[in-house]
Order: sequence, then structure tokens, then C-alpha cells
Amino acid sequence: MSLTAVAKAIADERVSSREVTQSCLDRIAQWQPKLNAFMAIEAEEALKAADAADAALAKGGAKGVLHGVPLAHKDMYYDKGKVVTCGSKIRRDFVATTTSTALQRLKDAGTVRLGSLQMVEFAYGPTGHNVHYGAVHNPWALDHITGGSSSGSGSAVAARLTFAALGSDTGGSIRLPAHFCGVTGLKTTVGRISRAGAMPLSQSLDTVGPLARSAEDCALLLGLMAGADPEDPTAITGPLPDYRAAAQGSIKGLAIGVPAAFYVDDLDSEVARILDETIAVLKGEGASIVQVELPDQRQLTAACQFVLATEAAAFHKRWLIERPQDYGSQVLMRLQNGLAISAVSYLEAMRWRGPALAAYLAATAGVDAVIAPVAPMPAPTIAESDVGNSPDAEAVIQRLTRFTRPVNYLGLPSLAIPAGFTAKGLPVAMQLIGRSFDEATILKFGAAFQRATDFHARVPKLA
Amino acid sequence: MTRPTAKQIKAMAEVAGVAVDNDVAARIANSIGPAFEGFAPVAGTLPFDLEPATFLLVQNAKVSQ
Repeated sequence: MSLTAVAKAIADERVSSREVTQSCLDRIAQWQPKLNAFMAIEAEEALKAADAADAALAKGGAKGVLHGVPLAHKDMYYDKGKVVTCGSKIRRDFVATTTSTALQRLKDAGTVRLGSLQMVEFAYGPTGHNVHYGAVHNPWALDHITGGSSSGSGSAVAARLTFAALGSDTGGSIRLPAHFCGVTGLKTTVGRISRAGAMPLSQSLDTVGPLARSAEDCALLLGLMAGADPEDPTAITGPLPDYRAAAQGSIKGLAIGVPAAFYVDDLDSEVARILDETIAVLKGEGASIVQVELPDQRQLTAACQFVLATEAAAFHKRWLIERPQDYGSQVLMRLQNGLAISAVSYLEAMRWRGPALAAYLAATAGVDAVIAPVAPMPAPTIAESDVGNSPDAEAVIQRLTRFTRPVNYLGLPSLAIPAGFTAKGLPVAMQLIGRSFDEATILKFGAAFQRATDFHARVPKLA
Repeated sequence: MTRPTAKQIKAMAEVAGVAVDNDVAARIANSIGPAFEGFAPVAGTLPFDLEPATFLLVQNAKVSQ
């Protein structure tokens, strides 16, 4: 059952919040020993909250559209009074004194907290490895990575342990777990959702977004979380589109751009096949297919690395001085990279962002969205991607994030949708890259694709 | 734009207030070098009147359409 469906079932009192919450907890008990997707499981509190939600509903007091729906989120969203580890040893005992705006808006809609989800240390890594709390496992193949940094979110949503989960995307951290775990993930436009109370990594690139079972569910969650916030002046003001209505719309007459280069180069053969099949489905649903010549994406990747590395190093400087031994070796290595970038180089990368976005938008002016693989390959094994702090580590990271980072640098929205499976049964996703603040159109494309296919509805079996 | 050497990185890190040893500086040089090469076609070519806030103008121009 999807988030949208379960919320309606609870609202219609066809099922109670306790029944749904208990069902999630039962499934968590089965899967957690295999997946390590949860950082904390709060069964007793969740059932108590579910009972309260049922009692309120019986009295006609539904809080909102997600009344009584159990959810868990990446352990970097501050929740007042709760420990928020950020996947780190340094914040192992950090108790939040505020609640993040995104999380509060979901609470205001009536959600029940199941606990918190695992993540890469300080959200700085694309694989899902975590030396402090252990790797999170892919429910489709336990010896394969989940992708990161929203590793627990991808794994838990795929295994149906939660109906949806918040992730964050600074260099691919929502889309990569969506790709490797076979779920739908929405990276929002920079500024679309408030980041107040979300652990920072890079103030210029950080975005909040959901991982869920469908584009329709992502539309529901985006509508609840988006919009202005006095606690975050970078969150944009102005009216919001009706995302749920957009997701119901037809894509007839819309155009999808297929890059002529970069995103179609050096693909694993099965990823290439699934890209072609996805394009064929979209065409069958009425979209026109247009080849687009994009500006050099390699320069965007390099600029993204300058911005991300520098801003992350600045956020972490105090701990880099006082507690370097408390970081995992790979995360420490990546944070230290920021020390090698001069202020002039960083500011050049920031100054180029406007012209780079303008050039991209001009190149894609004739299309409503661009399609590209999320990554050139399906999930590698945990062993083959565990590069620690070896000299080759950054090369491995660069290959994994090759197709995600340009989107972060340009601040664009991108929806990752499950688009097929390899012969070995590993999921593969495509990303639909939209224009600035036009999440509605990519949700429309994604939902149309999901009405025509069932990849998003497939569920892994416990081995 | 040339990639920084380990010796330069060691000096930069020290100025930044986060000292690193020779091995770490060498590893950083190897790790971050490709980004300098990737950005080289852009570095030093940007016009004088361009500031970072241009990004927000471009983003928001599209909102109003």
C-alpha cells in the first residue's frame, strides 16, 4: 500500500493507525537484522502515538492528511528532545533543541514517528558505508550497497519498513539510494523546502526531499513541506503548485530531452538498455522525444566539488581541529579535501553558477525535462566499493556521482524513478531533471511512467 | 589553473588553521587534482561584473514564467 493509499485508509477508518504501525514494526523486526536500516526503533512510543491518533480520529480530530501514518526519517533532521546522530560518532549523544521545519510540517500533518534511519556519516558519501554504525544493506541483494548518503531511507522504503522517508541531496544523496534500492526519490530545487533544523553539509547545495514508493507519494510529501519559512530565508516565497494534481496529469504534448553526450557515455549495458526502454514508455504515453546538446557537464562536476568540499570543510573546521580522530577515515579524507581549495577558486565556482544555469536552461529551452541515468551502473557490492581512504577512493566516488553532481551545482530538481531491473535482479532508476522550481512537471512525468509500469511497486523478499 | 602540489596544500591547510602532515597533503593533492583540471576551462575567464547572486536571478527568472 502506498503512502497516499494508507493515509486515506486510516482517514476512512478502514484500518487503524495502531494496525498500520504494528505492521511496520513487525516488518522492521524481521528486516532490521539483515538491513541495519534503522538508527533507532521506538516501538513503544510509536504505538502510543498511534493509539492517540486513533482516539483523536474517533472524536473527529484528524490532524492532517497523514493522520496516524507511521514514518521514519534520515537521522539528520532535528526533532526536539531526540538524539540526532547525523550518522557520526561526534554527535552520538547530541540531543536536538529544535525541530526541523520539514519534519514539523509532516508532524503537523499527523505522522507517527517510528524511529530514525541510518545514514552516511555527516551525509558525506555516496555508498552507504558507515564505520561507526555499520553498512546499510540493499534489500534486493544484501551484499550490495544501498547508495548514500540517505542509505537507511532507501533501504527502509524499499523493504516497506516505512511508507516514506526524508532524505537529503547535496551531491546525489537521495537519487543514488533511490536508484540502487528501487524507490522513488525527489531532489528538490535549492530553496524549495526549508533547511532549518536539517544538519548542514553545504549551504549552497543542500536540499531536503523525500524517498517514497511512488511519484504520487513524493507529490503529497512535497506539497506538505514546501514553501516559505521564517527560520530559513533561502526558502522561496510565493504560491505553490498543486503537486498532487500535477501528478495526475497527462504528459501528452510534453517534451523530454535526451542528452546527446555525457549522460549516455560509458553506461553499463543494462543501464543503457533500461534508458532506451524508459524513453520508449514515455513516448508511448504521449511525450515527444528530443535530443539535446547540453553544455560541458564535466566542468559542472568540478565546480560542484569545489563548492561542496570548501563549504563542508568550513562547517567542520572546529571538529577537524579538535576531534579529527572521531571521524571515519573516508569522511575525514573528504573533509580535508576542502582545505586545498583557495577562496578565489571557491568564489569563481560560485560566480559561475548563474551563467552555467542560464546556459543549461537555454540548451533545454525546447523541452520540459531531461532524462538521464542516475548512475552509470547498478549497485556494486559492499566489498568492492569499500575503498576506505585509499588513493583511489575519490575516483570511485566520482564515478558513482558523475550523473548527480551537475544537477546539484545547477540547483535543479530531479526525480529518480525505478525504471527496470538487471538480469541479476538489481534495480535501476532514471532521473527526470526539471527546470528550476518546476517539480510539478517531473512529478507528472514520473507518475505517468508509473501508471504504465510496475517497477516501483515491486517488493524485495527477505532472504 | 594548475592542480596544487602536496607542498602547496600543506601550506594552505596550515594557513586555514588545520595542519596536515606530508602524507595527508599528498593524498589530498591526488584526490582534488582532477577537479582543478575539470574547472580549468572556466577559471580566470569570468567577466568582471559577475557576482554569485546572479544564480538566484537566473533561478527566479524562471519562476515568473
